Amino acid sequence: MLKVEHLTKVYPGGTVALKDLSFEVSDGEFLVIIGLSGSGKSTLLRCINRLIDPTEGKVILDGIDVTASKGAELRHIRRKIGMIFQHFNLVKRSSVLTNVLNGRLGYLNPWTSTLGFFPADEKKRAMDALKRLSIDDKVDSRADALSGGQQQRVGIARTLMQEPTLILADEPVASLDPVLAHSIMQYLEQLNKEDKVTVICSLHYLDLIQRYATRVIGLKDGVKVFEGSPAEINREKFKEIYGEEAQDVRATALE
Amino acid sequence: MQKYKPFLKALRKLLITIVLVVLIILSIRVTEPDLVKLVSSFPKAESIMGQLLSPVLFDRESEKITVSQMVPVPCDSVPSLVSADSGPRIILDPPCGSPKDVINLRGVELPPNAEISLRWILPDGGLLSIKNIMTDDKGEIDMPLEIRPITTATDGKAAQISFEVTLPNGKLVVAQTLKDVIDAMFVTIFMALIATTLGTIIAVPLSFLAASNITRRGALGTGVYYLVRAFLNIIRSYEPLVLATIFAMIVGFGSPFAGVIALSITTAASLGKMFSEAVESIDTGPIEAITATGANRIQVVMYAVVPQIIPDFLSFTIYHWDINVRISTIIGFVGGGGIGYLLSQRINTLQYSQAGTALLAIILVVWALDFLSSEIRKSLV
Repeated sequence: MLKVEHLTKVYPGGTVALKDLSFEVSDGEFLVIIGLSGSGKSTLLRCINRLIDPTEGKVILDGIDVTASKGAELRHIRRKIGMIFQHFNLVKRSSVLTNVLNGRLGYLNPWTSTLGFFPADEKKRAMDALKRLSIDDKVDSRADALSGGQQQRVGIARTLMQEPTLILADEPVASLDPVLAHSIMQYLEQLNKEDKVTVICSLHYLDLIQRYATRVIGLKDGVKVFEGSPAEINREKFKEIYGEEAQDVRATALE
Repeated sequence: MQKYKPFLKALRKLLITIVLVVLIILSIRVTEPDLVKLVSSFPKAESIMGQLLSPVLFDRESEKITVSQMVPVPCDSVPSLVSADSGPRIILDPPCGSPKDVINLRGVELPPNAEISLRWILPDGGLLSIKNIMTDDKGEIDMPLEIRPITTATDGKAAQISFEVTLPNGKLVVAQTLKDVIDAMFVTIFMALIATTLGTIIAVPLSFLAASNITRRGALGTGVYYLVRAFLNIIRSYEPLVLATIFAMIVGFGSPFAGVIALSITTAASLGKMFSEAVESIDTGPIEAITATGANRIQVVMYAVVPQIIPDFLSFTIYHWDINVRISTIIGFVGGGGIGYLLSQRINTLQYSQAGTALLAIILVVWALDFLSSEIRKSLV
């Protein structure tokens, strides 16, 4: 169970990305966060695993204060939180296998893994993850030789290596076409339903929201403007969250 | 104001043109180019260039034939020996004589058009050169020979007249100059190699310290960042030639070690800067992703940073080795050893053909390394 309490983030330039944001996420939920670019979705996700340090407020995961932890404790918390990115964030020149094994670094002996040794059972675990995402045939390819959809599947396989209890997905399908978007969302749904992994995912497409979310939070300028079930999100609500400029977004989103 | 704009623009262009012309005139007056001298010294240039362009590469192994004939002086001092009647031989007419007599000397069945050193072998074994002559088309010589008093027989031993023929058709062998040049070239290549290696080893840690995205965090990090940057910039402002001159004075003129130190320092500074820019331009996405998995800082550097910078680092290093070979050819001129030192010595002693050998070697090696390094760098991208 994740609790976010009065979370505020002010960047050094004075930009307020999050303003007194509070919500809770129960285990097994598929929470979707919506809002315009710059509304604070990415900042929120990164405050949960502390890629960004919040200015004020707390993030409590399974009773542990993530915001107060540091060093080895923080790394142990991060191990259990998978993250998926809009631009996949794979190491382009490394092989698919190495990229997947990277997800296991938090569990491995820091010395041997620094020198590039991965135990055989970890390699097997990586192969299993790749098989699960049906991309095991690309195991020896360089990451940048893969298509966008394939790269995102490698990104999910990397996350699987962490054996996560929570997955943060930062616009995971924004760089993909609609068909691929559904395929990637289905993998996330599978993890959510079969592996009981809690998912917090930022999305823009209304049909994806209504198809996959169990609950939705809307952000506007760092403030929570909506919280409810996906069924409650209609065109008017969507327009309210996305503002007057939402015409184009809605047009594509509703197709 | 708008009305005057075209006029102002034209005026500005005119002013810039005038300034440029003045600067060029000034620089001509300062550097005193003497075109007349360039033309009038053409014969000298022709001779120097001719020698530079005919480098010494091979020598003919000099094969020598010696033919000698005893000459009793005076005639009855020792019994005269009849000369052989075939093969290269000397025929004297008369076969003996007294001091100051002039007798006729013939050499027959010698190699045609060969150079002969003609000399006396004195009774005490000493040598007395007479002159160098060429044989004719038939391989013969025919000339008068004056008998000198010093050739008088002593202790029953007579003097001999001797030919030493140098045959022009000996085997082709690698000239000593070429061997020296190849040795010096290897010194230069290895000098560049060791300097590049040392420079790279120093440059790698410096580059991370001088990369803003890695180091510039907090007051301490920012301080280190600016300090290392300033240090690299100061070192970079010294040309390797200047440093080599200084180190040649310290460790000895003509020693490759001076060149190695100078090149290592400049390589470290220059690669440090180039590497740091490569580190700064990496994609931060993978760093974020691997940090998010719970990896520690060293693991993040090893798995997110290193794979991204390795090709750039290798490429810059090979490129710099190429540059260093080029610089180290010149570094010899200021006492840094290697091919440049050899070249400067040959030029100073006016041995232009041998200098030409060194120049040829430099051109070939620089060209080959340039090709090699660009091929390797292509395969790295």
